[in-house]
Amino acid sequence: MDFTLSDEQEMVRDTARELFTKECTIDFVRSAWKQPTLAVGLFDRHLSDWLELASADAVDLMLFALEHGRAIAPGPFFASLLAAQVASATGRDLSGSASVAVSGSDGTWTPNEDATKHFVPSAADVDEILVVSGSPDAPRLALVAQAEVALTEVEQMDRLRCQYRVDTSGVAAGESIDPAAWRHALERSLVACSAELIGVGRWLLDASVDYAKERVQFDRPIGSFQGLQWMLVDAALELERAAAAVSYAAMCIDADDSDRHRAVHGAKAEAGLAARACARTGMQVHGGIGYTFEHGLHYWLRRAYAGDAFMGPSSHHHDCLAELLFDT
Amino acid sequence: MKLSFSAEDEAFREELIAFIEANCPAAGYSSGDFIGTEVSDGDGIMVIPDWAREWQAALFDNGWMIPAYGPELGGRNATPTQTLIYLEELASRGIPRSVHFVGYAIAGPSLLEFGNPDQRALAPAAIRGDTVWCAGMSEPGAGSDLANISTRAVDEGDHFKVNGQKVWTSYAMLASKCLCYVRTDPDVPKHRGISALIIDMDTPGIEVRPLRHITGQAEFAEVFFTDVLVPKRNLVGEQGDGWRITMGALAHERGGLWVEGVAGCQRSIDDILTMIKSRGRDQDKVVRRRVAELYSQVRGLRALGYKGFASFAQGTSAPEHSFMKVATSELHQTLIELAMDLQGAGLAVTDRAVAESKGRWQQSFFTGLAATIGGGTSEVQRNVIAQRVLGLPRGR
Repeated sequence: MDFTLSDEQEMVRDTARELFTKECTIDFVRSAWKQPTLAVGLFDRHLSDWLELASADAVDLMLFALEHGRAIAPGPFFASLLAAQVASATGRDLSGSASVAVSGSDGTWTPNEDATKHFVPSAADVDEILVVSGSPDAPRLALVAQAEVALTEVEQMDRLRCQYRVDTSGVAAGESIDPAAWRHALERSLVACSAELIGVGRWLLDASVDYAKERVQFDRPIGSFQGLQWMLVDAALELERAAAAVSYAAMCIDADDSDRHRAVHGAKAEAGLAARACARTGMQVHGGIGYTFEHGLHYWLRRAYAGDAFMGPSSHHHDCLAELLFDT
Repeated sequence: MKLSFSAEDEAFREELIAFIEANCPAAGYSSGDFIGTEVSDGDGIMVIPDWAREWQAALFDNGWMIPAYGPELGGRNATPTQTLIYLEELASRGIPRSVHFVGYAIAGPSLLEFGNPDQRALAPAAIRGDTVWCAGMSEPGAGSDLANISTRAVDEGDHFKVNGQKVWTSYAMLASKCLCYVRTDPDVPKHRGISALIIDMDTPGIEVRPLRHITGQAEFAEVFFTDVLVPKRNLVGEQGDGWRITMGALAHERGGLWVEGVAGCQRSIDDILTMIKSRGRDQDKVVRRRVAELYSQVRGLRALGYKGFASFAQGTSAPEHSFMKVATSELHQTLIELAMDLQGAGLAVTDRAVAESKGRWQQSFFTGLAATIGGGTSEVQRNVIAQRVLGLPRGR
């Protein structure tokens, strides 16, 4: 297992980092919270070309998603990226932004026959919806214009990426798709979500360490207190371990390694839990200032928890992993 | 980033595996804890078994002892990646290179780096295991605060006179030589007044008392020095170089120090999976979820080790590796406790005839307790990570 980045991989990471540093500042994020249409502009102007990552190496996808999470980028790009994974794996063409309607009420991406799909990200801001139904062994796919489905916004903590309940009862049954192709899209999507969570955790940890160095109480930086140091060390350990697990999962997908099914479920669970740990620790380290709306820490905290829940919470992925460990 | 190494490195792996399969004695697959198993006689006093001597010598003679060294030192000029492959293949099989690590991992490399030509000439025998070494480091007043050692060496012209006490000295009762850290200058800041001496263990005035630990075995000893005369030529490096020398030792393998900790966790989680199935607990939802969580952590740490190695191999610092000792030792303790909990009331049973897996978990529980204490406590590790990796300011 060789973690050395190739020149091309370094370029993906650096280009992504520059793009988000320039176009997705904290001020932009604050504005997008109040005025979600701004985020659609970010997609149209700067991100739509990056949907090509859907057919790139999973490692490239991961590197980009990580920077996306670090910048807490709002808007329909991420939903579109996941939709592009599904489209790419099943030979469909999308015309622009899109989202995936598959979840039942448990939030997991398990194809099912319910006409109502839950937790559909950014559905109001996209052109098309990929409706996935059937079952994991016999999935079906219908590509419809967004206007063909009925949307209900379900308010949730992360308003930078709204989620919707989608009534698909008016949509035709869809065509059968290869279960392996669905599984492939699912696993790449899990890697993207996991990587985004690592980026979220990375921002939270870095911001908290910086704050602990600057904030003085009792005549010294609070970061010199052992109690606080150990909290940060433990959060950093969880994050580093999860980040490595996510990279490993991406490498397994690219190598079509037999460990990839176990690796992706482990990665999503590890990443979700690590991002949450960094959020909790970050909030505690920042103290009162982090609790203000003004500061902005809460954007990352919201994404950490919402991101852990998205595509099924950690407990679900532990259950999936247990199935692979015990039942196969 | 990719999953496999180069074809050349994978060929190295094949050659190693072939050597192991052709030469490693059955007893070498101890699949228990890497160092310190199978070295005790019935009374719990340590002896080095013949198979271990022969195996270590065979590794040395065939260039498989420290692969990064040249053939004269038991190696084959292996690259860092090949060294990593080597460590992983041994650890995943639970095969030790040696049952006494001080000679090849501390004394030999330190003499090569800091010794004069006569002292460097002692290294091959130390690495091959022909000479058994111990390292005189910890003292009653110098544990985590190692630089606080007070064993005193007074310069008396052509020799030093040494007085003091060492503790937790591994293999002292078997060793013929000790690489001993002593205070030669009490009047300078404590890191600067330390020197390293080679002390022959049969010198008059040395008393070794085996120190039985909680498993009942005596791998450690206390070593008392009373007016021990050590010739000046046995000083390693210059006077006052001691602290620098403690920081040295086997730099070639620093990128792979984590391998053993991960392999121990991996073996334990694999054994736990087997135990759960054999006890019919594999449909218990709580057990399944907990095991999956810990399995993910083991695999995550394995990946983190490799990630740090990529930095190490490129010659940059590898902050990832700072986490590995504390993370693997604590995770291993968690795994062992889970394995004991799965035994219900049997968790406290140590009777080999009735205990699960002949009491393997209870044995591991006791040895595992040492992992978060020896070689730098978890608390010191956390302080070091906070300051050196996260860059937080020192406390008072």
